[in-house]
Amino acid sequence: MGSSLSRDFVAGLVAMAIGAFVLFEGSGYALGTARRMGPGFFPVALGGLLLLVGLAITLAGLRTHDRLPKPNPRALVAIPLALVVFALLVERVGFFPAGVAAVLVASAADGGSRPLTALVLALVLVPLAYGLFVLLLGVPIAFVEWRP
Amino acid sequence: MEILDGLQIGFATAFTLQNLLYCFAGVSIGMIVGVLPGIGHLAAISLLMPLTFHVPATSALVMLAGIYYGAQYGGSITSILLNIPGTASSAVICLDGHPMARNGRAGPALLVTTIASFIGSCIAILVLVLLAPPLARVALAFHSADYFAMMLLGLVASGALVDEKPLIGIASVLIGLVIGLAGIDVNSGAMRFTFGVPDMFNGISIIVLAMALFGIVEVISSVGRTGGIHPGAKRLTFRGLMPSREETRRSTAPILRGAALGTGIGILPGAGGGSMASFMAYAVEKRVAREPGRFGKGAIEGIAAPESANNAAAQSAFIPTLTLGIPGDAIMALMLGALMIHGIMPGPRVVTESPELFWGLAVSFLVGNLMLLVLNIPLIQVWVKILQIPYRLMFPAIVLLIAVGSYSIGRSSFDVMMIAGLGFAGYLLLGLGFSAAPILLGFILGPLLEENLRRSLVVSRGDFAVFVERPISATFVALSVAMLAWAVYSGLRRRKEQAAAEAAATEDDGPGADRPATHPMKTREERNLR
Repeated sequence: MGSSLSRDFVAGLVAMAIGAFVLFEGSGYALGTARRMGPGFFPVALGGLLLLVGLAITLAGLRTHDRLPKPNPRALVAIPLALVVFALLVERVGFFPAGVAAVLVASAADGGSRPLTALVLALVLVPLAYGLFVLLLGVPIAFVEWRP
Repeated sequence: MEILDGLQIGFATAFTLQNLLYCFAGVSIGMIVGVLPGIGHLAAISLLMPLTFHVPATSALVMLAGIYYGAQYGGSITSILLNIPGTASSAVICLDGHPMARNGRAGPALLVTTIASFIGSCIAILVLVLLAPPLARVALAFHSADYFAMMLLGLVASGALVDEKPLIGIASVLIGLVIGLAGIDVNSGAMRFTFGVPDMFNGISIIVLAMALFGIVEVISSVGRTGGIHPGAKRLTFRGLMPSREETRRSTAPILRGAALGTGIGILPGAGGGSMASFMAYAVEKRVAREPGRFGKGAIEGIAAPESANNAAAQSAFIPTLTLGIPGDAIMALMLGALMIHGIMPGPRVVTESPELFWGLAVSFLVGNLMLLVLNIPLIQVWVKILQIPYRLMFPAIVLLIAVGSYSIGRSSFDVMMIAGLGFAGYLLLGLGFSAAPILLGFILGPLLEENLRRSLVVSRGDFAVFVERPISATFVALSVAMLAWAVYSGLRRRKEQAAAEAAATEDDGPGADRPATHPMKTREERNLR
């Protein structure tokens, strides 16, 4: 990453961007008056504050030199992806295949893990989770189904 | 008399088979996550919140609270045996606990921390029982302006005190408030930040946000950590558990001082899960000791006081949460979230209108602490075994639990996807220095803050002076402003020192530099210790 950008500087920019977005979106709702606050009053106030605080962080960040941390891209993709895979599969093919797929995808987050170990782990964990949530707590989810 | 009646209800509630089981489950899980350095109690509570969806409110809170104070017991085991803090608040136990273990006094160190934990908790529970009902009565007279000001103080404190960069802490609070905006505005019926997605109409669930920020982010940043956590634990042998007469004598007063300090700090907003309490207790002991040189080399005072303090704080933190409905930190915010999920509006009426909840919870604390006292020592060999489970086997289980748990709440795939998205964004945000606890606190207090602001301004006919005219709200507003000013000032000063240090030496990245700080407290505490 760019060595000239300090971590605080980028954090400030992100805060400003969120603030600006909230201000923009919030100004589309009825503002009302202080006496009768509309749905836009609080969002606009928050957006404005966040924009200001973000500006202060950005300016202060110009003088610091903390480097941006290196993210762990493999885990950053695999872990959320495991949840997405589960969400997409559970209503179509049921609990067991969705759970196994989620464990396998999640395991891929660790470069050192072997597929076979992950599969064995999945075959142990998924029935346990099924027992806890479906059999014990009574959440109605089919173990296997086919509704593509 | 009121207290006796209350306790009677409490005992009747806490001693039902169901609540005893949930209490036991809670403290056992708390112990385990306390022992494991990779899983925080915030993550554990977030992960298990969906389970509590399927049980009554009191049982749910009994279990979630058990995880919290159970973790305070467990954390010190890892600190003493391995010199690694199991939880942020037990980091300070490493300083003298581990030297004791190396001197062959691991047994007494563990016994003393267990007893200190128990005594600290009991004193705080006593204060809770005595203080909460009258405080709740007083709070009934509070107006919306007072609530607004108290919440303001809580938010400012969580942003400005817990984080070493106060401005970024404040920005984190604001981001949390913004996330809390999503959904239908209860007053006007307007859709805000829903982007036309029907699944967003009810806003984002606290479980979804907590699982993303404390579960997913923690997993992403911990994956890849090498293998079995610490085989070194096996080598430690126990030559008896009993502390010597000298050790007993030395730890009595520190335990009591720690309990008093911890109880006081736990009530304050922004106290951050007992960590501040344990660090201050350590500092106090070092100051009052006749031979401060013994500290860091296995002084038993250095484990007795902090351990008593962090457990006391973990219990007394419930006082403002249950009586005012204002959580002091992220854990208490989760507790409030669990209450709201069960349709209980937090506030002073909880004590009077749901006595079985308040008193049942208070008595369950006592029961849970007794269980921990009995469980802790005999099961140490088991806890040490658990430490040897490699993280690469553990994290897929955590991900599965998050996926299934969040799906089980409303059988909504959207919620699961939302966790993925928020987890992804949260990892990047925390990597930039934003912190998770103030975000969560802002999120939970946001709607309440807006509602009280609206009400205050309706009553005052749009005059903002209402917040400084009432003595209670004026006090809290003044405290918030003072805290903000102090935080910004000390932040600037620290930055200047840092810049000077940087100019003197090239920056050292350290082992943790490539990971986002999921526990901002840790780095700050480590710094304070030097």
